[in-house]
Amino acid sequence: MVTASISLRDVGRTFGATRALAGIGLDLKPGVIGLLGPNGAGKTTLLRLLATALPPTQGQVSVLGLDPQVPAERTGIRRQLGYLPQEIGFPRGFTAFAFVDYIALLKEWTEPAARHAEVRRVLGLVGLPDLGPKRIRAMSGGQRRRVALAQALLGSPLVLILDEPTTGVDPEQRVTLRTVLAEIARTSIVVLSTHQTEDVAALCERVIVLDRGRIRYDGPVTDLVGQAAGRVWLADEPDPAAKVSWRTGTGRYRNVGTRLRDDVEHVEPSLEDAYLLLRGGSAENEPAGEAAS
Amino acid sequence: MTGWHLDDDALRRYVERTDSLAEGASVEQHLLSCEQCRGRVNPAVDVIDLAAVWGRTRDTVEVPRPSVFERLLRAAGLPAHDARLVAVASAFRGGWLVSVVAVLGFAALAAAVGHARGMWLFLAVAPIVPCLVVASSYDPWLDPALEPELVTPYPMLRLILLRTIAVLALALPAVLLFGLVVHGEAPFAWLLPAVGFVAVVLAASTWVSPLRAAIAVSTVWLAVVWLLAARSGSPDAVLQARAQAGFLALAAASFGIFLVRRRWLHQLRPWR
Repeated sequence: MVTASISLRDVGRTFGATRALAGIGLDLKPGVIGLLGPNGAGKTTLLRLLATALPPTQGQVSVLGLDPQVPAERTGIRRQLGYLPQEIGFPRGFTAFAFVDYIALLKEWTEPAARHAEVRRVLGLVGLPDLGPKRIRAMSGGQRRRVALAQALLGSPLVLILDEPTTGVDPEQRVTLRTVLAEIARTSIVVLSTHQTEDVAALCERVIVLDRGRIRYDGPVTDLVGQAAGRVWLADEPDPAAKVSWRTGTGRYRNVGTRLRDDVEHVEPSLEDAYLLLRGGSAENEPAGEAAS
Repeated sequence: MTGWHLDDDALRRYVERTDSLAEGASVEQHLLSCEQCRGRVNPAVDVIDLAAVWGRTRDTVEVPRPSVFERLLRAAGLPAHDARLVAVASAFRGGWLVSVVAVLGFAALAAAVGHARGMWLFLAVAPIVPCLVVASSYDPWLDPALEPELVTPYPMLRLILLRTIAVLALALPAVLLFGLVVHGEAPFAWLLPAVGFVAVVLAASTWVSPLRAAIAVSTVWLAVVWLLAARSGSPDAVLQARAQAGFLALAAASFGIFLVRRRWLHQLRPWR
């Protein structure tokens, strides 16, 4: 049995004069790995590299011990790969069943009975067991997203690359999907990019934060959250000493700052606090045309 | 209790529902009164795989019915899964095919009744329709699921070639059809330019999007036809053997470039 592994060595990707990724080095093992970062940080480009949809312009990528640059090895990787792109369109007039069945055909499920059973299995996993005959156009945004996720789960892949899988999905279904992904991650590498820090906190043991095409943090979620300990506090007014502050539902202000404070009402930091702290908490850190998604 | 019993053949026909109405009624009547034969019925019935039955039942509800085009491809000998992969392209579904046939039909009609000017219209339109259909069969603008399709093990080269062959196979019956209304060599003269333009689009799509390539090819062809029509007024320039050989050479060279650059089909390109 193949043990799932991915390694990237000094990987970079440019689009013309635009540098999307630079100096990326990673070793990934089975488990759920969260990918966080602002828009344009290079998350989608990194996921496309891992999914063999894009080649790097610099460095070495190895997926399951295979080189995606070699055609036969790339096909070998794709046999063990599930990929949910950030944006996915559906052919006009397709039902949920027809779409997943179509991708299953491309994934070499040629025997109809086995293929149809597999399509039903993955539609069941994403909570759409009875919506196979429904036209995708008539579905809600969250249901469409789950149909898209279903095609990525076909064949229980060893490598699952998910770009914002829970966008538009309701909280109940997100919890269900977390359970499904956690089960898959027992033997597979699941890399998910998201803006939902609560998904990462609930699901991932490891988080990678990208900023302007470079890795800003790579380590356990708990360590990242620990960096914010003592740096998050509540106050009646926005604190000028804070890097970022916002009014909460109770009417008080949650402040996140870089300096340790003793004279304030500290609260337990969340992953979102830690992420904002890492990012510096201001729009001045947004990439300006250097990196691309 | 009766003195006779069902023989094995009659019992088999009964449980398989292959008996006649009269025989079935007779067996039913006998079973009501014969405990011994009733006891033989249950073991004679095959074990029913309920999961398989349920799977088939769901198939009838969930599995989309193959389109006419898909059934044609299967009848032509293409394996069922390949036929499905070809037929799902937007270019081969409903409105697209109808509009393509309508455009060609209109051009053929114009050629049939409009003499030289109609012939020019036919020669201008007919060769570019196949390359537009081929381009639309794998262009990301019309095929929005390209990204997940791309990272499957199915070779993109094979998919594109299958769809291309399907377009050209559709063109042949069209030639025969138009030959009925358009006289002379024109109904056949558009074939080689069409093949050449399809090959150019395939080759160019390793650099730019297929639809852009097809639009560029079509624009150039329309300009050339317009210039020729304005200069000579006769479509002979397109019909002569030298021009036809040129289109053949264009097709061969372009297809060669397409094969050499095929690796670009297996990844997203900047134009995405």
